[in-house]
Amino acid sequence: MTHDLLNGLSPADVEQVLALGTRMIVPSGTSLFQLGDPADRLFLTERGRIRLTLPMHVRDREENVFVEERSPGQTVGWSALIPPYRFTLTATAALHEAAVIALPREALSGYFAANPSAGYKIALNLAVVIGHRLQLFQTMWLREMQRTVEVRSV
Amino acid sequence: MEMFLMGLCMSVFGLGIAAVAFGAATRSESSKSAVQPELPLVKAVAPARFFSDRVAAPPTVPIAASPRQVPIEVLLLQIENHVRMEQAAAESFLAFPTQALLHSKTTSPFVN
Repeated sequence: MTHDLLNGLSPADVEQVLALGTRMIVPSGTSLFQLGDPADRLFLTERGRIRLTLPMHVRDREENVFVEERSPGQTVGWSALIPPYRFTLTATAALHEAAVIALPREALSGYFAANPSAGYKIALNLAVVIGHRLQLFQTMWLREMQRTVEVRSV
Repeated sequence: MEMFLMGLCMSVFGLGIAAVAFGAATRSESSKSAVQPELPLVKAVAPARFFSDRVAAPPTVPIAASPRQVPIEVLLLQIENHVRMEQAAAESFLAFPTQALLHSKTTSPFVN
């Protein structure tokens, strides 16, 4: 299993980083974290899929609407490394239970301080994850805006 | 005396003609006034038809509202499919950014 957050790290560094974490099993339909929760851990998906959702009003009800899905090898909950350290989505195990490695922010910060080279690579990998999310949703936002403009100009 | 009686007869006859004429005139006014109220009556019918037309329109409301009859689980699934299709389209654009791919259409029912 390779993790996008640990790309470019030596096997020894990968082992050290993974040793900082705790393996967790998330039963199907169970939340890993909720929107607004304090984000003190980020998660590396090992097995199963994690659904990321946002609340939306649908027919006078508040429903968690699908936003994105994370697969094995992908990172979930990078808000743990970005101020104000609050989750901005809700993460739930999809149809089947999921397995993740929870990495506490404090342990990672200590590791980065002790291993700046590995910390730099992880920071770059995190920038790729965040940058991709930004570009993806920027594109989706523009597509929706285009449709809104088309509807209003009819 | 004869002249007096003739004058009296003429006066009575004239009075009778005047009375008949007055009666006819009065009768025609009343008949006119009986017709005139019918006009407002027709006018009163027109708004009723207008409103009845508007009442007849609501059959379109249930048709328009019929999507609300879709179970919420189905609606949520449609939203999820829409998001997945939009993400796939956005991924295609990011892999090969062109204006055509940026505004490419999906088969999502939310945009068709």
